[in-house]
Amino acid sequence: MAETKHVEVDLDDIEKICEEFENREGAVVQVLQKVQEKYGYVPAEALELVGDVLEIPKSKMYGVLTFYSQFYQEPRGKFILKVCVGTACHVRGAGLLVDKVREELHIEPGENTEDMLFTLEPVACLGSCALAPMAMVSGTAYGKLSADKMVSLIRQLEEETVHEEETV
Amino acid sequence: MLTEALEDVSVASSKLTDLPIIHIGMATCGLASGARPLLELIKKEVQKRQLNVRIIPTGCIGMCHNEPLVDVTMPGRYRVSYRNVKAMTLTQIFDSHFTKNEFAKKYATCQIPMEGAEPYEGLILMADMPFFKGQVKIVTKRCGMIDPLSIEDYLSMDGYKALKKVLTSMTPAQVVDEVTKSGLRGRGGGGFPTGLKWGLTQKSPGPEKYVVCNADEGDPGAFMDRSVLEGDPHAVLEGMIIAAFAVGNARQGYIYCRAEYPLAIRHLRKAIDDARAHNFLGENILGTDMSFDIEIKEGAGAYVCGEETALLASLMGERGMPWPKPPFPAQKGVWGKPSVINNVETLGNIGHILLNGGDWYASYGSEKTKGTKTFALTGSVKNSGLIEVPAGTPLREIIFSIGGGMVEKKIPFKAAQLGGPSGGCIPVDGLDTPVDFENVVAAGAIMGSGGIVVMDEAACIVDTAKFFLKFTQDESCGECTPCRVGSKIMLDILTRITEGKGQEGDLDELVRLSMYVKSNSLCGLGGAAPNPVLSTIRYFREEYEAHIRDKRCPGTVCNELIKYVVIEEDCTTCGLCEPVCPSGSVTWEKGEVAHIDLTTCIRCKACVDACKFRAII
Repeated sequence: MAETKHVEVDLDDIEKICEEFENREGAVVQVLQKVQEKYGYVPAEALELVGDVLEIPKSKMYGVLTFYSQFYQEPRGKFILKVCVGTACHVRGAGLLVDKVREELHIEPGENTEDMLFTLEPVACLGSCALAPMAMVSGTAYGKLSADKMVSLIRQLEEETVHEEETV
Repeated sequence: MLTEALEDVSVASSKLTDLPIIHIGMATCGLASGARPLLELIKKEVQKRQLNVRIIPTGCIGMCHNEPLVDVTMPGRYRVSYRNVKAMTLTQIFDSHFTKNEFAKKYATCQIPMEGAEPYEGLILMADMPFFKGQVKIVTKRCGMIDPLSIEDYLSMDGYKALKKVLTSMTPAQVVDEVTKSGLRGRGGGGFPTGLKWGLTQKSPGPEKYVVCNADEGDPGAFMDRSVLEGDPHAVLEGMIIAAFAVGNARQGYIYCRAEYPLAIRHLRKAIDDARAHNFLGENILGTDMSFDIEIKEGAGAYVCGEETALLASLMGERGMPWPKPPFPAQKGVWGKPSVINNVETLGNIGHILLNGGDWYASYGSEKTKGTKTFALTGSVKNSGLIEVPAGTPLREIIFSIGGGMVEKKIPFKAAQLGGPSGGCIPVDGLDTPVDFENVVAAGAIMGSGGIVVMDEAACIVDTAKFFLKFTQDESCGECTPCRVGSKIMLDILTRITEGKGQEGDLDELVRLSMYVKSNSLCGLGGAAPNPVLSTIRYFREEYEAHIRDKRCPGTVCNELIKYVVIEEDCTTCGLCEPVCPSGSVTWEKGEVAHIDLTTCIRCKACVDACKFRAII
């Protein structure tokens, strides 16, 4: 797994997010979701600041953060490959898709590629079982996948990024 | 982003007009099948032909296997539905309707009656299709028919009529009575009578009460709630507002929705905004002294939060851990106040029940399970999708009439898995089981929230049990020991069995542990976790024994147990298998029978697929 750079956290931003939820202690999950939306993950510094503002002990903040699988403590790739491994996808070969991504990008589930372009994230069920096996990238669902189609999807995303960089 | 998928779609009301209407299925399954680029093509085609039409994105009509679906309604004619629409077919559909004034026979699936309109000749009615014939649509009645982002569409199909009726002519007690009379039971899987739940919350003292909608549909293989939320979000809101009235003027409601459903959340947000603008939500609803509002809370990825007390803990910003009942949420729920928690589908039924009466609803279904139930029918079945049938419909009818039978004709049915990680497998002998709460439990599974995964003979039962147990083991919150440790030990045993290291006595140990975990776990997750194991041992003991004693996997799924061999009598010595082997394990000389070296074989199945004579098994 690649070495990851952490971002700078601004107290003002954190205070603003907490303010949105009227600094309610009960809104801590939503606050952390907003923090993650902003930074792409929940930096340790941000977690501490949120705890300070909402007056929640560090232990409890950490408890909440680690309980939910959708909070991340490390930066993640630009594209999150959410490969569904739910029941219907499982019986239709979702395992092969995961294996293909591991082989192609040399990352294990939960890891990022060195260029921080991809993160592999097997998920339990995306609720489109009729199109199994499926995956979701940046909110777009891709149905009836095969190992080959998965590879071309990865290539396509890589090309798009190169293209974007060139135009910038 | 999917959540923004519908942003630039010009949303028009689909009330009967003089304009032709094009509906396009744009729920998650439609989008995953390419509905978005198709919509662009439709827009282009409309522009090119300079047509004056309304384009309306709809939710899911249930035929996920036929997505993307496009419907064309010409003024004064029935609505024609086209399946698996591609760029090519689109041109022909447009030609037929807009040039020749007929329908595209080659691609049409069915037609849907419109009031005061003429049918087409030679096209089957939707209601007569095998997929729809056995179905009764109540909660999914509007899904796929209306634009979910348009409150006008909802209003045009009896929307908020039940709410008006309740607020102007009924008392809370009468509402509870009507729901009780309907026999409606919790559709999330619990099966607790909804009327009773409401009555208990109503009787709980205190002025501050809450209504919570459980939209944390976490069972893998289940997407009923997603379809309702995406296709008919107002129905859920209306159910919640009526619940708020019935339990004694609750002022605040929450919808706890899993974050994996971005489109559903987006549709809900829009629905809440529109409902506020029409004064169905907010202060003094419809001029009465009732005030109620709804907030959406997104889940953060924890399956256990589908359990009601865990959901409440999460709602209040805690770790989503269940608490022992009592106190029940009806006594102490959100912020310690009386709360009623209902599932999406349960709430979706409420408006229909109040409008048509409890007796009407109770006229459907079986003796102890009234009304209808939605199911997500998936796996190795031909017509996978979302269906709604009267409770008590036999499993055989669901799979073979509505589902159209097995997807691969040559591979026969083996089992149906009902109820996800808390459920079990029903074998061929159980196909005549009426699907309702009691009968499915007697057959060793649960009706659950409504996932039905069909498995054929190529599936491995032990692997399936392992799959579900791995899921619950991952999702166990760790609070109580039987669930946390028990499920881990059970998973270890199952893993060993699938790796060919099973021992005599493993099955007895699994059953013993199952009983222990079932009876000693704190919440429903642990209490039901052993079900997939118990039901499969009950019906497929010989398949477990084949793994343990013969080190053989009859479904050829468990990698470590697959041993490919060449059948000498069937081998034509053609040599096709040799070059496809990536590990060089197949050796073959001209005129000789091929040989597979099992020590280097990686079980990729390439040689099996390459052999045209089925000589490698």
